[in-house]
Amino acid sequence: MLSLARCSLSSSLRVRQIPSTAAWRSLHTPPRPFFQRGTISGPQQPKDLLRSLFKTQRRTYAQFTERNSVGAFTPTAAALFVVTGVGLAFYFRYEKARLEEEREKERAQKSYGRPSVGGPFQLTTHDGKPFTEKDLLGKWSLVYFGFTNCPDICPAELDKITAALGKLREDLGCTFPGESQHGDIFLPVFISVDPARDTPSQITQYLKDFHPSFIGLVGDYAATKSVCKAYRVYFSTPPNADPKGDYLVDHSIFVYLMDPNGQFMDAFGQAITADEVVDKVNEALENWQKQTGKKV
Amino acid sequence: MGWFSSSSKQDTSAPTREDRQKCWETRDAYFACLDRVGVVKAGEEGNACSKEKKQYEGNCAKSWIDYFNQRRVIAEAQKERLARANEQNQAARK
Repeated sequence: MLSLARCSLSSSLRVRQIPSTAAWRSLHTPPRPFFQRGTISGPQQPKDLLRSLFKTQRRTYAQFTERNSVGAFTPTAAALFVVTGVGLAFYFRYEKARLEEEREKERAQKSYGRPSVGGPFQLTTHDGKPFTEKDLLGKWSLVYFGFTNCPDICPAELDKITAALGKLREDLGCTFPGESQHGDIFLPVFISVDPARDTPSQITQYLKDFHPSFIGLVGDYAATKSVCKAYRVYFSTPPNADPKGDYLVDHSIFVYLMDPNGQFMDAFGQAITADEVVDKVNEALENWQKQTGKKV
Repeated sequence: MGWFSSSSKQDTSAPTREDRQKCWETRDAYFACLDRVGVVKAGEEGNACSKEKKQYEGNCAKSWIDYFNQRRVIAEAQKERLARANEQNQAARK
């Protein structure tokens, strides 16, 4: 109604008061001549018709456009429009960021699709002590399956683990090969897939060429088969292999990264370099630290 | 350990880094000789690389020799396949 009051009264006749809805509608349709309006609006005629004839100004289209330009778009309305717009924009942006964050959090907490790699096993270390999956707990372990008579791939992979460990421990401030200031949180494990030939003493000798923290594990054929099954590792040694024989063992060559809870985290193939292993382990460590607040 | 393992290849002790290194070097020398005479499959070179072959066989276990020889054949076949695939790729792009 504010707009109507502001209408200029050039003629002697007054502005007829129309309801605001009518005013809005009239913005979009050119006004009809007065008499035509009178005939439609039933209750006004015929007595009211005469009275309103004196009260009402006949508005032209030009007057309406003039009223529109100053009326509907006042500085107050414009300011309100801008403030509401900006406010909504900020609100939506905030809401979007909040929802995204929530979704991200949910995704991080969900451990969907974690491969079922690893599990219980009972083996013997290279220095003759019993070793089970429980001995992996509390450390980040890098597990590799191989055999001491391996011509080239196993030593290359073990060299890779050795190099990665050196780098990782250095990053944590350890003086290789001594103990670190954070404690030693990594455990490299070599599991033999050649139980007929790989005795603990032979594994001890073999591991001298690699990182000093390596633990070598071996068991009888059944124990080896069982641990390989748990880690989804294929190996070709027959159960009745000749301990003196000269043969090779065909086997899977992944390095498995297990978290301090003994859960599978990642697998590194032959194509992944020592530096990439370092990056991936560091990434896993960071995520772990964010979630649990500790390193192991 | 070094003198022990190098004295007898057939014992069950694990090969050391030095043992492996020596084996790989003699293998590379033998394969280089095969390349020179244009032979892919070991054993088809006649007497051309007998000196290198003797060194190779003296420093690597038989299972390793079989494995390396086999892999050489596979790698050559792969090289050929890759070259052909590249050619086809080039031709398809034109």
